[in-house]
Amino acid sequence: MSEQLQSDFDKLVKTSKFSNEEIQFKKNYLDNFIKKGFPNRKQEDWKFLDISQIIKKNISDLSYFNDYSKSNKIDPSIFVDGLEHNKIIFINGRIEKIDFNFEDQNKIEIINETKKDISFDYENSLIDLNSALTDKVLKVLVKKDYSLKKPLIIYHSTSDKIKSTNINLRLDFELGENSCLKLIDCFGYSTARSFINIFYNFNLEKGSILKNYKIDKFRNNNLKYSFNNIEQDNNSVSETFILSAGSDYFKNEINCNLNGEYSSAFINGIFSLKENQQHEIRTTINHLVENTKSYQLIKSVLGKNSKSAYQGRIFVNSKAQKTDGYQLSKAILLDETSEFNAKPELEIYADDVKCSHGSASGSLDENSIFYLMSRGLNYQQSKELLINGFLMDVVEKITDVEIKNLITNIIGLKQ
Amino acid sequence: MLKISNLNANVENKSILKDFSLNINPGEVHAIMGPNGSGKSTLSNILSGKKGYQVSGEILFENKNLFDLETEERAHKGIFLAFQYPLEIPGVNTNIFLKTSLNAIRKARGEKELDAIEFLKLVKEKAKELKFDEEKLNRQLNVGFSGGEKKKNEILQMSMLAPKLSILDETDSGLDIDALKIVADGVNTLRNDDNSFLIITHYQRLLDYIKPDFVHVLMNGKIIRSGGPELAIELEKKGYESFN
Ligand SMILES: Nc1ncnc2c1ncn2[C@@H]1O[C@H](COP(=O)(O)OP(=O)(O)OP(=O)(O)O)[C@@H](O)[C@H]1O
Ligand SMILES: [Mg+2]
Repeated sequence: MSEQLQSDFDKLVKTSKFSNEEIQFKKNYLDNFIKKGFPNRKQEDWKFLDISQIIKKNISDLSYFNDYSKSNKIDPSIFVDGLEHNKIIFINGRIEKIDFNFEDQNKIEIINETKKDISFDYENSLIDLNSALTDKVLKVLVKKDYSLKKPLIIYHSTSDKIKSTNINLRLDFELGENSCLKLIDCFGYSTARSFINIFYNFNLEKGSILKNYKIDKFRNNNLKYSFNNIEQDNNSVSETFILSAGSDYFKNEINCNLNGEYSSAFINGIFSLKENQQHEIRTTINHLVENTKSYQLIKSVLGKNSKSAYQGRIFVNSKAQKTDGYQLSKAILLDETSEFNAKPELEIYADDVKCSHGSASGSLDENSIFYLMSRGLNYQQSKELLINGFLMDVVEKITDVEIKNLITNIIGLKQ
Repeated sequence: MLKISNLNANVENKSILKDFSLNINPGEVHAIMGPNGSGKSTLSNILSGKKGYQVSGEILFENKNLFDLETEERAHKGIFLAFQYPLEIPGVNTNIFLKTSLNAIRKARGEKELDAIEFLKLVKEKAKELKFDEEKLNRQLNVGFSGGEKKKNEILQMSMLAPKLSILDETDSGLDIDALKIVADGVNTLRNDDNSFLIITHYQRLLDYIKPDFVHVLMNGKIIRSGGPELAIELEKKGYESFN
């Protein structure tokens, strides 16, 4: 692995315009990754789904070099219909288009950077890999008091022109005071097997609102990892919705620091998995000051030989009185071979807090099926109605009506 | 219409119904009374096709072997069960459920499916007849409904689907006096020469409002006596002990 990495890294350097300082900066990350290797099940965070094994099993010819100097053709058929939106289009990890046509251009700034430090402590080697191999870091800055008129959709697609089996990309978002951004991630559905490593950094200043909807719906052979770091100042709100259904493997990780009073974080997720899919959501919410709130609801519907895991950690430090923390996960196992793992973790050092967690899993309720069938619905209809109903309350948590309708349609839920 | 002959039903080697036989002709109303655990709900479940019972004997519905039909096919053919304990179905809107159900049955009968407007008109009309709060139709099916509201919802479904054979499993339990009359009216409206009813109850009072043609006493999985409405009155006075 390390030889391939070294030579692919050299190719990246050759085709880029990195300065010597930047090259050295990136090389440090590369060395870190080579030292650590891919995460594996010996690490607590990776015990349910071991990514080093999963990559080994699925991608025999791991390679890392993408020529970012050559552009890819955009296929407009990937665009979401029926919702006016701004766009950022990634193809094979390369930014092909940035389009904020619906917005006041003075209120948004796009900044390209190469050398970007990481503001928090981490052990995760995938962040090292990402920092070594991304050609640039795009930063979207929303200025004070500006609410984007339309959502921003980020398209993550791959084409069959792709040379490597690994893609790394990184985006930073800076939300100025009292600004608002609605962000939708649409994941593509290519049949090429590659490992996609995405790293987002969000900085929410006072009173700003971030709504991030991650939609991985259509069946594809990708292995995906998405790491999201969210920093929140006073009165800011982050809402994250994850539909985890399309990829062979997908792990979404959210690290959220509630640094300002009255800040709050909402994370709602759906796993809808079939044959051999393995998905995970891992969250860490750090309640660091008084009067912060977090809420998490994760539901799974698991078919034959599929597996989902939810690791939710709530940390409350000694200063963070009046913390309100809640997490609940529920799973329907459609087959004996379906597997759901939940690991809630509460670490609380303040005494005046309200924190709770719960988890439940089981098969579809036969009595409910009988009730629906006795009203003339066949087995399949009854099952679908029950599953829809089970998932509906997660979708109901989406606070943007237009996007809620879009996602309801994408999932195929009937209201 | 319904002909049950020597029906035996076991659950996990426990015998629940024993050589049970009953005939219901078109237009007839039969009442079954019997102590707790005597097998009344088991009978209703088996008629509707619930799985999990070992059965022998024969059940014919309009000369067709019921055991050959799945639960939904029985519903299509006109069998309806008002559940003793209607289930709560979270996340499923009551109106959408009702429309799906009605159209599944209409389709199976070869009738035109109703569009949203036609459906709403019908459901509003029926809800009004039954004094069923229309606002509840936009809620999740039976979720947060009171005991009585759930029972009324069963009767609303019955009157929407207009079944040939309606089985009411203790629909009167938990209803207030006014609701009892409304439910009885619902049954009496549907009652005609072609439709039949099997009414399971613990209380004679319901039978003041819905006059049965026959009353049967079920004990230990067997009908031990059959008669007219006067049997219910006798039962109310003397209790089950005297029949043993
Ligand atoms: N799935 C089951 N497993 C085990 N025992 C069962 C099952 N279903 C029914 N029984 C038993 O069969 C008997 C008859 O039950 P059933 O529900 O038919 O009674 P019932 O006449 O409807 O009583 P009630 O008046 O209380 O509603 C009871 O003893 C009950 O415990
Ligand atoms: Mg009963």
